[in-house]
Amino acid sequence: MRDPDFGPPSGGHGRERPTEGRSGIDRRTEFRPQVSAGEAADAPTFETGTTVVALTAGDGAVMAADRKASLGGRFTSNKNAEKILGVHPTAAMAISGSVGPAQSVAETLRAEASLYEARRGESMSMTALSQTAGQLLRGMPVVPLLGGVDDEGGHVYELDGGGSVMEDAYAAGGSGMQLAYGVLERRYDGVADLADATEAAVDAVAAASERDTASGNGVTVATISDEGVAMEAADVADASALEPVEESAGANGEVA
Amino acid sequence: MQRDQQAYDRGVTVFSPDGRLYQVEYAREAVKRGSPTVGVRTAESVVLATLGRTRSPLMEADSIEKLHDLDGRLGVASAGHVADARRLVDYGRQYAQRERLRYGEAPDAEVVATAIADFIQETTQTGGTRPFGTALLVGGVTESGPQLYQIDPSGTPDGWRAAAIGDGSEAIRSYLEDEHESGLDSDAGVSLALRALASDLDQEVDAEELDLAVLDGDGFDAFDRERTADAMADAGVGPAS
Repeated sequence: MRDPDFGPPSGGHGRERPTEGRSGIDRRTEFRPQVSAGEAADAPTFETGTTVVALTAGDGAVMAADRKASLGGRFTSNKNAEKILGVHPTAAMAISGSVGPAQSVAETLRAEASLYEARRGESMSMTALSQTAGQLLRGMPVVPLLGGVDDEGGHVYELDGGGSVMEDAYAAGGSGMQLAYGVLERRYDGVADLADATEAAVDAVAAASERDTASGNGVTVATISDEGVAMEAADVADASALEPVEESAGANGEVA
Repeated sequence: MQRDQQAYDRGVTVFSPDGRLYQVEYAREAVKRGSPTVGVRTAESVVLATLGRTRSPLMEADSIEKLHDLDGRLGVASAGHVADARRLVDYGRQYAQRERLRYGEAPDAEVVATAIADFIQETTQTGGTRPFGTALLVGGVTESGPQLYQIDPSGTPDGWRAAAIGDGSEAIRSYLEDEHESGLDSDAGVSLALRALASDLDQEVDAEELDLAVLDGDGFDAFDRERTADAMADAGVGPAS
C-alpha cells in the first residue's frame, strides 16, 4: 500500500522544491499519477472493456462512451461507469484500460491544467494539454482518447500507455473499437455539425454495445465547444434518449 | 567571541536574550517598504487592492505582479519583496492542486493560508535560511464563506475582516477600523478598499498603478484598467474625482 501522503512526487510539507520539475529530466510535470504500472499489473483491477469514440465537428468536438465496467471482460462490475472525465475547461478524456490508473491520470491532468491556468492566466492549448497527457500516461495501463477545443477549433487525440500522442479528425478505442470504426468510417463526413457528430458517435457506441461483450449499459456523451464541456447520458445507446448530467467532479476538480 | 555572542541578528535561528528574532523583525521592515495593499471582506466577497508604482515611464505597468490568482477561486496580494512573494504564490498554487488530487475537494482560504504560513515558519527555524521578506493577504469565497487571511514573515496566519500590509499599513488599518462595517456588498467593499488605500497617499493614484480584484462565489475576477478607473470614480478616488 502506498501512503497517500507520498502519492504526488513532492507530497510532503515545506521541504519540497517546486522548481525541480523544470530542470530535472525525470519529472516533466509537476504532479505524477498515483498508481504505477507495476502495481496495477499485480493487483486485481477493474477494466473498462469499453467502447469510446471522439469526433471533431467544426469548432467543437464530441465524445461518447458506453457505461459498462467489467472484470476481465467476463463480469459486469459496474453498469454506471463514468468513462468521460472533464480535464480542462474545454476538454475531456474518454478512458479505456484499467479504471484506477485512468482516473488517476485524469485527475492529475486536471490539476496540471488548472495550475497552468493559474500561473499563465490563460487555459492550456490542446497541443500543451495533449503533450502533458502523453507524459502522464507513460507506463500506465490506460489507452484514452482526448477531445477538446482551443483557439484553433476542435481536436481529437489518440493516446496510449507508451506516451504516444496522435491527432486525428476522429478516433475510437477500447475492446469495441472495430465495431465503432465500422460506423464512423461510413458516417464521419469531415464537416459534421455537432448534432450529426453526436448521432454518429452514439450509433458507433450502439453498434459496439450490440456485439462487444465488454461494452454496453447505455451511453455517455460529452459535447465540447468553446463554452465548455456538456455531459449527457442515457440508459440505452440512442441519441434521442440523452439527458443532461452533472459530472461528479467538474473540470477544475470542484465538487458542487 | 564577545562580538559573536552579541550578533543575535546574524543567524535567523538565534533568539536575543529578551526573546526576539531580529531577522524576522527585519523582514517585517522589508514588508513596510513594500507598496500598500488592502483586503476587505464583504458579505459575499473578498476585495483585494494594491498599488504597483512603476519606477520609470518606460516600464510596462501590467508586468508588475502584485495580485495573483491561486486556483481560480482563491487570490493572493503581497507587499514586500516581490520575488519572495512569487515563490510563496507558486507554493500556494501547487498546494491547492495537491489538496484536490488528495481529497477531490478544493481547499478554502484558511487551509491554503495555513499551509503557506507553515512553509514560511520553517525558514525562521532552519539554519542557513532567511525569512521571506513579504506579507501576504490570502482571500476567497468557498463553502466556508468569504475568508481573508494575513500572513506575516514569522509564519502566522490571522483571519481579518479588513487588513492592510505594506507602506502606511498602520494608517490604512486605522482608517479601515473606523470605516469598515459588516454586511457590506461587493461594490461598497471595492469603494472602501480604494478609499483606504488612497487615505495615506499624498500623490494622486492612477488607474494604471492600481491592481484590483474581487473574489466571490464565481471565482477570481481581476479588474482591467477601465473597470478600475470606473471603480475609482465611484469611490471618489484619483484623477477622476
